[in-house]
Amino acid sequence: MSRLRLYVAIYVVLFAFATMQVFVEGLGLSYWTGFWAVIGLSAVKALLVAGYYQHLRFEPRSLSYLMLVGLTAAVVLTAAAAYSIS
Amino acid sequence: MFELSSSVGSVTAVLQAGGDVRTPATEFEAIFRVFLVLGVLVGVVVLVYMTYNAVKFRAGGPNTAEGDADRPRLGELPTGSGGGRKLFLSFGLSAVIVLSLIAWTYSSLLYVEGDPPGDDALDVEVEGYQWGWAFTYPNGYTDSTLRVPADRPVRLTLTSRDVFHNFGVPELRVKADVIPGQETDAWFVAEEPGTHTINCYELCGAGHSYMSADLVVMEPDAYETWYAGTDNSSEGSEPDGNETTSANGTTTANATLAGVLP
Amino acid sequence: MTRRNRHHERAERDGEHDEPRVADGGHERPADTDGGHERSPTPLEDVGAVGRAFRVEELPPLSSVARWFVTTNHKDVGVLYVVTSLFFLVFGGVLALLMRAELWTPAADLLGANAYNQAVSIHGMVMVFWFLSPLAFGFANYMVPLQIGAEDLAFPRLNALSYWFYLFSGLLLGASFFQEGAFSGGWTMYAPLNVPVYTPELGATTTVLALLLFVASITVSSVNFLTTMHRMRAPGLTLRKLPLFTWTILLTVWMMLFAFAALGAALVILTSDRVLGTTYFAAETAGGSLLWAHLFWFFGHPEVYIVFFPALGVMAEIFQTFSGRRLVGRKWFILAMVLVALQSFAVWMHHMFLTSINLQVKTLFMITTIGISLPFDLMVFALIYTLVKGKVRFETPFLFAFGALALFILGGITGVFLGAVVLDYEFRGTYWVVAHFHYVMVGGVTGLVGGLYYWFPKMTGRMYDETLGKLHFALYFVGFNLLYFPMFVAWETPRRVFVYDVSLLPWHQLSTVGGFLLGASFLVMFYNLTRSLWAGDRVEGNPWDYTTTAEWAVPSPPPLENYPEGTPTYARGKLEFLAPSAVRSLGRTGADGGTDEASTPSTDGGTVVRDRSSAPVVPETDFDEGGHDEHHASHASPWPFVVGVAAFFALLGLSGVNEGGLYLVLLAVGLLLGTVGFVAFGLEPFHVPEMVAAERWPFAGVENAKLGVWIFLASDVVLFGAFVGSYAFIRVAFGWTAWEPVPHDPFPGLVNTYLLLTSSFAVVLALVAAKRRSRAGLVGSLVVTFLLGVAFLVNKAVEWQELFHEGLTLSTGVRTSTFYLTTGLHAAHVVVGLLILLYLIARALRGGYLDDDRPVEYFGLYWHFVDIVWLFLFPLFYIF
Ligand code: HEM
Ligand SMILES: [Cu+2]
Repeated sequence: MSRLRLYVAIYVVLFAFATMQVFVEGLGLSYWTGFWAVIGLSAVKALLVAGYYQHLRFEPRSLSYLMLVGLTAAVVLTAAAAYSIS
Repeated sequence: MFELSSSVGSVTAVLQAGGDVRTPATEFEAIFRVFLVLGVLVGVVVLVYMTYNAVKFRAGGPNTAEGDADRPRLGELPTGSGGGRKLFLSFGLSAVIVLSLIAWTYSSLLYVEGDPPGDDALDVEVEGYQWGWAFTYPNGYTDSTLRVPADRPVRLTLTSRDVFHNFGVPELRVKADVIPGQETDAWFVAEEPGTHTINCYELCGAGHSYMSADLVVMEPDAYETWYAGTDNSSEGSEPDGNETTSANGTTTANATLAGVLP
Repeated sequence: MTRRNRHHERAERDGEHDEPRVADGGHERPADTDGGHERSPTPLEDVGAVGRAFRVEELPPLSSVARWFVTTNHKDVGVLYVVTSLFFLVFGGVLALLMRAELWTPAADLLGANAYNQAVSIHGMVMVFWFLSPLAFGFANYMVPLQIGAEDLAFPRLNALSYWFYLFSGLLLGASFFQEGAFSGGWTMYAPLNVPVYTPELGATTTVLALLLFVASITVSSVNFLTTMHRMRAPGLTLRKLPLFTWTILLTVWMMLFAFAALGAALVILTSDRVLGTTYFAAETAGGSLLWAHLFWFFGHPEVYIVFFPALGVMAEIFQTFSGRRLVGRKWFILAMVLVALQSFAVWMHHMFLTSINLQVKTLFMITTIGISLPFDLMVFALIYTLVKGKVRFETPFLFAFGALALFILGGITGVFLGAVVLDYEFRGTYWVVAHFHYVMVGGVTGLVGGLYYWFPKMTGRMYDETLGKLHFALYFVGFNLLYFPMFVAWETPRRVFVYDVSLLPWHQLSTVGGFLLGASFLVMFYNLTRSLWAGDRVEGNPWDYTTTAEWAVPSPPPLENYPEGTPTYARGKLEFLAPSAVRSLGRTGADGGTDEASTPSTDGGTVVRDRSSAPVVPETDFDEGGHDEHHASHASPWPFVVGVAAFFALLGLSGVNEGGLYLVLLAVGLLLGTVGFVAFGLEPFHVPEMVAAERWPFAGVENAKLGVWIFLASDVVLFGAFVGSYAFIRVAFGWTAWEPVPHDPFPGLVNTYLLLTSSFAVVLALVAAKRRSRAGLVGSLVVTFLLGVAFLVNKAVEWQELFHEGLTLSTGVRTSTFYLTTGLHAAHVVVGLLILLYLIARALRGGYLDDDRPVEYFGLYWHFVDIVWLFLFPLFYIF
């Protein structure tokens, strides 16, 4: 079944990205470039899991917004608090 | 840390240097007075207006329309009454008042946040602890009473040895949080010689109510004499502040504290 | 790919179920349980002999004591909330009077320092947490389902569970006084005073745990109310058309969901600092003290609106009823509240103006703070203008609502003073603040007291005594102002002290007199209401003119299932009670043109999503005409109570777990009882009928239980977000790049990433197998998931073991604290997942989930979420 094949493909991508994350250090990027590259990889993985394994892509958009609101709250807290002392 | 504040602040300070000294106390008094007048005014107007309307349109009163023609009915889908224009007018008015008040106080904030005027400020380090204050002068001398010369800006750098405290001298309108691992700052000018009370304004444990100290404002000459006689051997009562008596008549010695603590 | 999906989506909206589908969700089947578990009798029920022994088939009558322990009916739970909250009002009030008595003289006489500090702290907590919100939620429980036309909340048993968590959290708080004393560091619990070095009492830990249990109660409740209010509105009742009280509750629960998650994170960390010895908030930790302030106020400021909004809703309802006028500018009023709710999460640092945060941030938060005060101006004016041209009747509810508005105006004006940062610098920590927040919060209480009189006849079927009501108001209002107004005059008194300057003596004495007067006024109320319960005039339906909301269209008190005359609908523009079949066929023909549902194609009948009654896999068709008779809704379960008791024991045990002995026993008993309770909860057949037709924007197409899971996950995002935020904050304070990850190399973490990713994939396979009705596939995949989860934990245990051996323990420093606690919280999520998995596997072995795979799907949502969290913890804690 093609859906199943899609899930397998995603699994492979997730696996590969996780492996890449550990080796980003070896690329000789600057600390912050490397940092954001790795976080970016995590974000892509998270989107894949949420979009397909949690099938958010096929749900009403409102569910994705719901999660985004929670995420925004967390990011606002983190960013503003960290900024306040820097 | 306060690049923005210090630059703006010192500009203001220079501009102000001619007339009376602007201190946190004068800033506070000026703003507080305006807020108080306006606040009372707005409060009275609004409260009178709402009471007036409630009474004017009381059931059975002469101004109240008979009949239920346009009254709400059970089971209707909620809607609102008209009157949007009036609503926005009053809202706009109140918004303008509030916004301009706050904008007006912002320059004061920058001033208070900035460096004290002039360049002869006395620097004192303040350390709060359970339950007292330790003041360290530039020469390393430490005391539990804060002595400062009159009419000269005093800049405080504050931190805590243990829990969160808050340093405040109500009469001079100076206040700062006192946080372990962090440094905060504040400044003030005491214009007349005299004694003021320093209080703690953040609950800090059993001795919080008694965590006060004296601020002694001295004639500049007397201060210089006294300061010349100090050295870095941290005098007498530090660090437990045993002999402090505050101006407000309550004894704040640890002896009293011992009486209250279990 | 895209085209396929679109086709797919449409197919689902149209309710076509003939196509075999895999895990793409969106299928809507009638929800019939609230534990995410199907209700048809299952083989495992036989295993649950315990469950059967306690099964409550019928709800005992109102007169029976047993009823109040097992009821799940929203009206009963509402009454329980109201009564319990009034009990806590007395508790908090007595503490307040003790303080006022102490303050009669400027010296220390009545209470010692420790007693006074405990009184201040617990008074604040009790009033804000255990009294104010629960009173509002008593009304919400009772009125919201009635106002929106639902028969109950979406998850009645979870609602009862919220109540029991609430009650037992309060009892736990009470217990803390007997463990060397309750927490004494203020309701704001500032760090580092909140760690055992400075507050070593066991009771202080218990206070923190009590609050944590309260947070659990609120979270469960928020999930429940949000699901209910978004998916169970009568046809025609679009969001815009909701009554104002319901609107305020809707916004309140949204704020609660996110704000309390942040408080939950703060409290979990604090508990860990107190019990496990981590050092987040220790004085030595860079930024630890500020971190607490950030976490607390990120919760604390929304909390201000959380306690005030319901009161505002009550005031709006009462103003409309007693002036016989619809609210002026209703649309703007609602918009203003929405803005406040959103913005409330962006003002918290105005509580930290005197700390070492930078001036840029102060300026930013000064602006947002002023911004948030403006919508309130609009609301106040809207209420005032509603009186104009009205027919105002000064009956007790109106007097209180009117008084509340007056008090709120004074509180608001004095709040603008605090918004001017220069003034705030001086007011901080003084009685100005005390006076201001009492005007606002107790102003809110005033409105809620109005609500108590307003709805008393609805809830009891009896009228209170009007004269005594007016007397109460007179005493209350005079007492209130006598109590709090002098505090503005004596504002230079520092907060939370019991000695003050002699010159302020008269003001403090006036205040104390006012306090006792205020207390006495409540005696009048208690007498009035208790007596009227027996002797009041009978009220058949609606005692008030000009009410509009649906709770007044049913008998007083309403019967168990609320609507004796038929199913409520607004589809034709006004409230009607029709036979279920008529409601269903009516659709939304008469409604006002799809304001809320613009995104849904009209082919599905607008917002009125019809039940997919033809879903072949569910035997019961309880939503058919007459279905009500076939399947009575359940209204009783003993398990919420049992789980509540278990939580009480477990947390009491946890408070002293380092003492050993009896505490360990308590902990063990609590955990055991909790397990039994939850399993029985899961196995118990409990029937909640789906609504015949309902407005479901914006969650049409997401079945109740699934929505519940998602909403819970959204709050969990904030919980983890606050943990990660705390880590980032402390690391910034420490110097980001100077900080080395605790694990020496990332490989154990990488292995764990592999394990979790694979387990996520296994859950996906499990769902695919369930859809293909393959029992072996299902069980196999679930077992694989389970094993991978266990492997994850084992790998982690090995890793931790090695780190411990190197002397890197939880209390080594904040670097190790953040590592162990954040990944530990994640591991705890894995453990919970494994427990659920055991349950699923046991049932799958007996053939469960082949007919109804939703529990597997919903478990998957949780498990994938835990996976996603790890995807971020891994780089943050292992690589950088
Ligand atoms: C009914 C709703 C009430 C609420 C929501 C409420 C809330 C609070 C809160 C949050 C605090 C701060 C506690 C702290 O600083 O840790 C507080 C303090 C206090 N409250 Fe109340 N309170 C209420 C009623 C009362 C009543 C009826 C009285 C007097 C009879 C009272 C007297 C006090 C006093 C004396 C303090 C201590 C102020 C201080 O030293 O900071 N409160 N209240
Ligand atoms: Cu202190």
